[in-house]
Amino acid sequence: MSSVLLRAIREGRSSAGQAPEPLLPRSSWRRATVEAAAVAAVAGLVALGVNALRPQGLPLVARTPYEVLVPCPEPGGPVEPVEPADAALRGTRVFLVDARDAGSYRTGHLPGAVNVPYDWLDPLPEPDLKRLARQIAASGATRVFVYGDGDRPDSGEHLGREISGRGIRNVGFVRGGAPALLGRGVP
Amino acid sequence: MSRPGVAAWLALPARWYLGALFVLASWHKIAVPHDFAIDVATYAILPLSLVNPVAIVLPWVELAAGLMLLLGARVRAGSLLVAAMMVVFLAALGIALARGLDMSCGCFASQGAESDPISWLTVLRDVAWLALSVLVACCDRGLLGLDGLWRGREAHA
Repeated sequence: MSSVLLRAIREGRSSAGQAPEPLLPRSSWRRATVEAAAVAAVAGLVALGVNALRPQGLPLVARTPYEVLVPCPEPGGPVEPVEPADAALRGTRVFLVDARDAGSYRTGHLPGAVNVPYDWLDPLPEPDLKRLARQIAASGATRVFVYGDGDRPDSGEHLGREISGRGIRNVGFVRGGAPALLGRGVP
Repeated sequence: MSRPGVAAWLALPARWYLGALFVLASWHKIAVPHDFAIDVATYAILPLSLVNPVAIVLPWVELAAGLMLLLGARVRAGSLLVAAMMVVFLAALGIALARGLDMSCGCFASQGAESDPISWLTVLRDVAWLALSVLVACCDRGLLGLDGLWRGREAHA
């Protein structure tokens, strides 16, 4: 189909194999361009006229900047959600990260979990990232699971995205965070 | 005049599709110009003084081009307008994506970035529409349109 179309465009030939039609003359394009400009100009005038007459018309020049809310792009990487009951959490080559504050961590955490408190303003400072990367490498873990406060948004999920986005692979977060784990009586 | 070829028959649904698309795209922008002005401003490309003029005029040019394609009136001019707009939209999209903006494209009804985010797929879609407009500009023969009727009358005159 595409070859037929290309041939038809190139040769200006009808599919019935009849006499070749003349290629589109340059004057035809010039006329079309002039017509397009004229239509745009008329449409512009109509637009300005209608805008001037309608009650909800815009001022021709905005007086104050528009409040555009464009969220900052999140640099985070992919994270895989895991359920609190998932057996993978209790695997041998697993590195656990507790994203809650130090006080919550002290009251109870999964055995072996490392505390990296998630700060919404400065999610993962460079020294913390380097220390974490060293710890993960030294542990020989193949998967990293993060759990946080389980709120919406969940600090565990966000810390997991930060870690994943900074070059550490196979990162997951516990759905529901520490409350879901605590509810199961895990820590 | 010889019989229309395959390309001319392919250009016909492309013409109708693009025409309907542009009429549809213009509708909400004309109805709620303030929303479209916010969409234009969100791209952060134009100075503030040009945001409102563009938000006022562009939807009417879209409507005019869409109607020209739907009715088959001055099709080549209409498809040139569509192609020119697609080039402008592609440039704006490319700049927004390069800046990493997480925003709605504002192509149809204004939606939040969550429901209609821009992506390289949006660019691909616009490239496809640009290709269709070129096809229509090159291959339309006035089938089932006012251009064909006018040409027929001129031939009989």
